[in-house]
Amino acid sequence: MKNRLRVLRAESNWSQADLAQRLEVSRQSVNAIETGKFDPSLPLAFRLARLFKMPIEQIFIDEDAI
Amino acid sequence: MWCTKSAAERIYLVRVMIAMSIYVGAIAAVSWSFHHRHPQGAVVYLLAMLPALPIFAVIASLGIYLAEEKDEFVRTVLVQCSLWATAIVLSIATCVGLLQTYVPSFAQRAGVTDYWVFTVWFLAYAAVQPFVRRRYK
Repeated sequence: MKNRLRVLRAESNWSQADLAQRLEVSRQSVNAIETGKFDPSLPLAFRLARLFKMPIEQIFIDEDAI
Repeated sequence: MWCTKSAAERIYLVRVMIAMSIYVGAIAAVSWSFHHRHPQGAVVYLLAMLPALPIFAVIASLGIYLAEEKDEFVRTVLVQCSLWATAIVLSIATCVGLLQTYVPSFAQRAGVTDYWVFTVWFLAYAAVQPFVRRRYK
């Protein structure tokens, strides 16, 4: 699933490792989500939303809805 | 880092190392017993199956690790590796079974025994990991 994670992370000036540490996941998890090759579970998506203080749909792009 | 280990993985590796150390000790003890003590009756069966206990522990450790690993991406990769390893072992076992059925001398020539399945599964499990992980890079 496409997402804006890389952009949001860059805006926060965080590395993948920084974001992984904040989410308590591995750096490879962050990389896989950023590249759209792994879709996070709903709980992890909510953690991302809380971290970036925005709704899930502003982070992940629902291509079927476009 | 790609190879950074989670707490659950570190505990899993410790459990596996302990179990495999016990396995090596059990194999040595059982082999020595059969060569020097020549056990009889039910003891033969119990002794022969003794090294299987640490193998059960290794299998259980993998299951516990999958349950304890908090990183859902890592869990996904591990489950995929397990499925690939199972597919590889089932395929090899089917081929070996057919060879044993239709080529009677095959089993003797190749020295094939049934308990190789565990070793092949773990070798396949380790071998497929780089390929499964590469899909997500």
